[in-house]
Amino acid sequence: MRRHSAVRMLLHDRSTTAGAVLGVVAIVFLVGQQLAVMFGLLTLMSALVDNSGADIWILSQNSNNTSTAGDLPSRYVDRLAGLADIEWAQPVIYSAAQLRLRSGKFQSVQIVGVTRPALSGGPWRMAQGGNDVLLEYDGVTVDKLDLVDLGNPQIGQVVEVNGKRIRIAGYTEGSRAFGPAVVFVNSTKAREITGIPADRCTNILVKLKPGVDVRRAQAEIGELLPKTTVLTASELAGNIRVYNLTNTGIGSSFGFSTLIGILVGVVIITLTMYTNVLNRQRDFAVLRALGARQRDVFAIILSQALTIGCIGLLIGFFLLAGFLFGVKGSRLPANLPLWLPPAHALFTFLLCFLGSALALRRALKIEPASAFR
Amino acid sequence: MDTLMESPKSEVQSPKSDVQSLGAPGTPVLRLEEVTRDFSDGRVVRRVLKETTLDILPGEMTVLAGPSGSGKTTLLTIMGLVLKPSAGRVFIGGEDVTGFSEDRLASLRQQRFGFVFQQAALIPALDVLDNVLVGTAIQGGRVLPRTREKALELLTGLGLKDYVSARPQQLSTGQQQRAGIARALVSDPILLLCDEPTSALDVESGRVVLDTLKRLSRDPRRGVVLVTHDPRVFPYADRLLKMEDGAIVYDTRTANQTSGPEDAKDTKQT
Repeated sequence: MRRHSAVRMLLHDRSTTAGAVLGVVAIVFLVGQQLAVMFGLLTLMSALVDNSGADIWILSQNSNNTSTAGDLPSRYVDRLAGLADIEWAQPVIYSAAQLRLRSGKFQSVQIVGVTRPALSGGPWRMAQGGNDVLLEYDGVTVDKLDLVDLGNPQIGQVVEVNGKRIRIAGYTEGSRAFGPAVVFVNSTKAREITGIPADRCTNILVKLKPGVDVRRAQAEIGELLPKTTVLTASELAGNIRVYNLTNTGIGSSFGFSTLIGILVGVVIITLTMYTNVLNRQRDFAVLRALGARQRDVFAIILSQALTIGCIGLLIGFFLLAGFLFGVKGSRLPANLPLWLPPAHALFTFLLCFLGSALALRRALKIEPASAFR
Repeated sequence: MDTLMESPKSEVQSPKSDVQSLGAPGTPVLRLEEVTRDFSDGRVVRRVLKETTLDILPGEMTVLAGPSGSGKTTLLTIMGLVLKPSAGRVFIGGEDVTGFSEDRLASLRQQRFGFVFQQAALIPALDVLDNVLVGTAIQGGRVLPRTREKALELLTGLGLKDYVSARPQQLSTGQQQRAGIARALVSDPILLLCDEPTSALDVESGRVVLDTLKRLSRDPRRGVVLVTHDPRVFPYADRLLKMEDGAIVYDTRTANQTSGPEDAKDTKQT
């Protein structure tokens, strides 16, 4: 009867209930959308590492992510070949470059030079053409989503990067990274473009044999190559995310937006639920006089918060699903990890209860004697 | 309407009470002993109920009359265990409940007391049947089928059979008050406390409500207390108490000790 009465009261006060539901929807959608975009960006930040197929990355000494890495001697690859646990080791070249548009303007790009014939660390999803186009001397791939930024180059079109001619040989689909458009190219052409000599590279990717303990292999490589930084792929991915979050303002920007979403939602829930209790003071007093204990009033208010939370969550998740569907395949990255919706729901219920605290405080203060005034 | 009086007690689902001896024939259903009540605004303490000793007996209708501000409602709320007295003791069925916790008092109110409020005070969000039942399961749990049957029986007896699913705002004030009476009776209370039940009613509706309350007071296990300043109520009283300035100044039962016969006559004729 308590829950029944609580729900009936909500249905009776439709306008205030709608206001409270709106508050929950604001929390679910705004916060969910912000988090989805943030996780999308986080995924993008470490996409090159996550999709490289390597277990271990070797960087220059004193650097902990690809953005701050210097270069390495390529001969380290030969030294690694002596370790029994390693399946393969490949040098790669990461470097910024300038692509000349048809208009004559320049566009920053990120050159990723991979070693033939394995092409490890290369594009992981192709839209048009295979990644074997990188085996060709001047063949490069760019992502479909970056085509507009790059002046819509067509397959077969020759463009200029750092004054060197390259040929668009394939399009990738979602093989992108955080920051400038990625241009995958073979390492020979990459050295030509970036000026990195043949005996140098920026990173070495290491794939371990199946069943090998990554930590142990990491320590072995560290001993073998003492003047380098040896990181597991997950360590490097984490370092890149932290670096970008703290050095680009993305973290604080998303944190602030999320906080605003939470605040707006909680304020709306608080005000509407409080108004609801104010409007229903006589009813609560009558219920108290009829035998409702404070804990029963508590249960009624919490039932209302729970009901509002459930309705708001349903609508909010529906809108969020629409948003995710809408941005799928677009330049706006959005990614909702599987654990996030239940965590978000739990968090939203907590905020509903927090929002109902003021209403609860007011309702618990209502004296049963006031039913007689 | 007769159904109300004909309904045997054994058919009424009645929850167990903290006070087991409630409603025993002959003993007062309620006794107030030297009860006072003070209110304070933080600076000044004002005594709104002076030392009062009072028994409410089953089977009679006690009418509490007096001008506004005389302390009638304060006395009624103390009787109803809704307000705690500043001093004195309250006995229900012979047991001292003065020191009971808020929760135990709430349970007693739920199980053994019925309240009829001024202007019915039905909850607009609930339909008439739910309004009648709301008190019975407000402490959790479900409404028992027997209780639901009892509620329907009461509503039928009070002429509200066709309004069971209606919202309170669809009812006339007289019908609302009768629904309020059904709510007060559904738990088979030993004490029915009515606060100005006819103040918002026209003559005919008021008469119907008073007739109903009078019949209910004939139950030898139940006491009825009615607060009013409506003179139409006085002829229905088995016992009339008159309050002034926080004290009972006239009681028909002890008229010769508390007040002169002229006062009594005046009150009866008011």
